[in-house]
Amino acid sequence: MLNIIFGDAPNTVYHPPTYFDNTYEDSWLEQPLAKEMVQDIDKSEVVGPHLIESPVLGPVSPKELSGGVKTLLLMAFDDSGKIFNASACGDNCAQWIVNIGKEKNLTINLHHVMDFSHVEDFRAKILNTGKKVGNYQEYLKEIFRIKEN
Amino acid sequence: MKGKHHVIVQNNKLRYEFDIRRNITIIRGDSATGKTTLIDLIQAASVMGDESGIFLQCDRPVRVLGAADWEIVLPQLHENIIFIDEENRFITSQTFADAVKNSDNYFVLITREDLPNLPYSVDEIYGIHTSGKYHDTKRVYNEMYRIYSSLTNVSTDMPDDLLIEDSNSGYEFFSAVVKDRSISCSSAHGKSNLRKSAEKISSDSLMVIGDGAAIGPEMNDLFQLMHIRPSIRCYFPESFEWLILRSGLINFPDIQKILAAPEEYIESSQYFSWERFFTDMLIQWSAGGYLQYQKSELNSNYLHPKEMKAILQQMPWWEEGNHTE
Repeated sequence: MLNIIFGDAPNTVYHPPTYFDNTYEDSWLEQPLAKEMVQDIDKSEVVGPHLIESPVLGPVSPKELSGGVKTLLLMAFDDSGKIFNASACGDNCAQWIVNIGKEKNLTINLHHVMDFSHVEDFRAKILNTGKKVGNYQEYLKEIFRIKEN
Repeated sequence: MKGKHHVIVQNNKLRYEFDIRRNITIIRGDSATGKTTLIDLIQAASVMGDESGIFLQCDRPVRVLGAADWEIVLPQLHENIIFIDEENRFITSQTFADAVKNSDNYFVLITREDLPNLPYSVDEIYGIHTSGKYHDTKRVYNEMYRIYSSLTNVSTDMPDDLLIEDSNSGYEFFSAVVKDRSISCSSAHGKSNLRKSAEKISSDSLMVIGDGAAIGPEMNDLFQLMHIRPSIRCYFPESFEWLILRSGLINFPDIQKILAAPEEYIESSQYFSWERFFTDMLIQWSAGGYLQYQKSELNSNYLHPKEMKAILQQMPWWEEGNHTE
């Protein structure tokens, strides 16, 4: 289930890429999901937990992954209970956020209206109001309502 | 600071090249487009100079500003182009907005937040994309592209409804334009109400008109609304006063040169956003004449057929043949 908190909230990490650099586990990068996300978003290949092959930068460490992928990896594998700011992710990460939310109870934090309009099977619970939204139109309506209050 | 400033940043693998021409520029867009890498390169180059191995070229100093000491450092900087990365929450604060307002620096902010305290232009919200390899085919060439256009859903079909950001002269003008046509015209009473007001108008053919020079903070919400209401059209010229100045109704020395390159004339420490400059120009140069302008109430001479037509002709979506009844 994907849960969304819009705006400031306790226990959130505003800039997940910094948190990732200082907390990630090598084992995360050995998971098929991590390899798929790195390939899709960064167009890079995970050669091993210490080596990513980027088509632009060449061989790089996980610390040079994009902020979006770092945030997705935290959402998928971090078990600290922290809530990560998905506004560090571009819209090209939206489908992955929804996919992760199907596999686990995922709560994200947003500081902008993220575009889920192109995402298949988008459903979420907006924790600010407790409202469950079953499509993009319902999500927008609820987020706009929260922004007005 | 005034002017358009060309920036080149490159190392052995990447080259970024772009122009910065207003006090506030926003960079956002998809992940993995190289935003943070750009910041890292500028940071290294500005601290270490040539010893960084990074080539950084601009006619003004280019640097990165961080969270820890920004309030101490910023007052010492003048005529710099300052990049701030997305981890710096202070860019959402009123304190930062106040600092930008009177600054002679240009700011380039990497963020997906709306930043409602900052009046940035629809034209200065960019993404970064790779446009191919640079010359020697070894280096990837990155440039910025505008995410939004000042005119969306281009069509010369007449809308059923007009929603105007402003409640003063601009609204009076457009109300008069559609008065004898079967078109309704309403005011949002400010840019922060535009999206909410647009939601309330259920029309299949709605045109939203606002001041592009400061509409940036509303663009993401409006753009998201257009995903579920694709018939909504938007037109965001710099401002209503800019339309009047372009119309040729008011003449003064160098007007065409100023309108062709406003950045060469607008001092960022004096004007938080460009629409205030255009308003000041119009008030100053129309004073004492039959088209004397004031923002709070439209001079009725602007509603005479010749004057009205001259202003309408500045709008690319307006085709008089289609719209006269």
